[in-house]
Amino acid sequence: MTVLFTMIRKEIQEHKLAFIYAPFIVALVLCAVIISVYLGLTDIQTTNFSFSTDVYDEKYKEGMLLASPEAKTAVIRAGLVVLGLPILLTVGFGLLAYSLSTFADERKDRSLIFWRSLPVSDLTTVMSKLVFIVVVIPLLVLPNLILLQLVASLSVSIYFVSNDIVPFGYVWTSYFISDWFRIIFSLWAQALWSLPIFLWLMLSGTYFKKPVIGAVVPLVALVVLEGIIFKANNVQEFIENRLGFWSRADSFPIQYEEARVVDITDVYLMITTQAFWIGMIASAVLVAGIVFTRSTNNDFTVE
Amino acid sequence: MNKDIVVKAHGVKKNYDNSYALNGIDLEVTSGQILGFLGPNGAGKSTFLQSVLGLINTEGNLEVLGLDPRRDRHKLLKEVCSITDVAVLPKWMTVDQILQYVDGVHPGFDLQKCHSILSKTNIKRSSQVKILSRGMVVQLHLSIVMAINARLLVLDEPTLGLDLVYRKEFYSQLIEDYYDGEKTILISTHQVEEIEGVLSDAVFMNQGRIVMQDSIESINKKFLELRPNRDSLERAKSLRPIHQRVELGREVLLFEDTEQEKLSDLGEVRPPFIADLFMAIMDKTKNGDNA
Repeated sequence: MTVLFTMIRKEIQEHKLAFIYAPFIVALVLCAVIISVYLGLTDIQTTNFSFSTDVYDEKYKEGMLLASPEAKTAVIRAGLVVLGLPILLTVGFGLLAYSLSTFADERKDRSLIFWRSLPVSDLTTVMSKLVFIVVVIPLLVLPNLILLQLVASLSVSIYFVSNDIVPFGYVWTSYFISDWFRIIFSLWAQALWSLPIFLWLMLSGTYFKKPVIGAVVPLVALVVLEGIIFKANNVQEFIENRLGFWSRADSFPIQYEEARVVDITDVYLMITTQAFWIGMIASAVLVAGIVFTRSTNNDFTVE
Repeated sequence: MNKDIVVKAHGVKKNYDNSYALNGIDLEVTSGQILGFLGPNGAGKSTFLQSVLGLINTEGNLEVLGLDPRRDRHKLLKEVCSITDVAVLPKWMTVDQILQYVDGVHPGFDLQKCHSILSKTNIKRSSQVKILSRGMVVQLHLSIVMAINARLLVLDEPTLGLDLVYRKEFYSQLIEDYYDGEKTILISTHQVEEIEGVLSDAVFMNQGRIVMQDSIESINKKFLELRPNRDSLERAKSLRPIHQRVELGREVLLFEDTEQEKLSDLGEVRPPFIADLFMAIMDKTKNGDNA
């Protein structure tokens, strides 16, 4: 356990820019924008220029007043979840870059020789990176989402109450804290869902001189060949699904017409789908491939 | 006192693209030996050390501390340390982060000891590796290795590219602060003259084979170098030297198993430098004079 903890701490130290600083900066920017909007700072009306970010016009205000208490709560909850998307996209791109570079960089700077001189098996190393992606990164992201939600909730509360749209209590519902748990479960589910993509990029980093080309070309070739030979596009769909949100995947039994808060039962539904287990089997094969390649490839040339 | 066998190799071969990097290595290394692997580029020194560390697959039988290095590498590395290339410490890490990491993953690492070793150097624990000089990185690496309670240390060209001061410091630190008579050290280097005083044993390699192996003590007894007086040259040659060269205009003859008394009257006698002996053995091997 100490070994795993040490290895994960190393991953956090090495990638703090992508998974601690970058999401935090995005969260701060979003907070600043939200506060500015609700303070009316982004509302500019001059004789020559007109710009408004007024989020609730009379139509919305009327709609909110007429909506049922459940509908009001649902809108607010969904809004809070959607707010975090820029942070999640930032981390998503960071994850793709991390997966591609984590094994390529240790070959490039030859630090792999040092890591290999220590009593840590290749499997432990790969598993530590897997735990980092699936478990730890969502935990690192969550505080930023919470900060953003708190700032947004506070701003919207002041705005709603001062404009008599909804009472204070609708914003600060009992769902507030439980939704944070839902978010973390959703992020873990998302990481598991997209795991084959991350592992494929890692495998490329352990083997190819040019990991980006090594990651992309075989997949493009597979998509093209499958199209020509079988007139099918299963590979392309698999990649698109895994790059997208798990709750929106075609194979997922629930089709979402609009954004809503993902429930913990949805995670259960996901792990009971065939698509999820196909992804897990693909991940296991890729892990074996990474372990084998990392332990046998002595070519340190990476461009 | 019985010495433990640390490395046992029998018929070890490694084939790369139809040419043998190792071509039937038979070797036994016991605890307490400081064994130098000497040979030209491509002799197979690094390949053998890599196979000892379990980094490559080989044919034949190879046991390190009773374990198969390839299959049990993870277990083996708890007892074996290595510096197999200079400046391979991760550049983004600080010294403290590296020490914390090694402390977390290596059961034999003594963090306090490492701090104490580092306190005698100019290396700051808050410094990032990327700002350290090449010599300091090697010094840091050696400090880490010295703080690990391992039975076998493998050094493959550990001082390559370092200036003379760092090279001297490296080996003196290794012997004074690390070697305790029980630990075993395998060293491969091109700077033979710098490790000569450090070695207990030498293995000469060429084209994937061991061409000679012996203890330094035995080599010094067995081989003698004679710089004969001008009038004794012909008499000296008649004693059948195994090798002959010219150094600064003077003939230098190398003798094997010849009594020192027979040579003392003919000129200046001394044990050969390992590098000179190595050159002589290589010439002898090249000429097919193995008898």
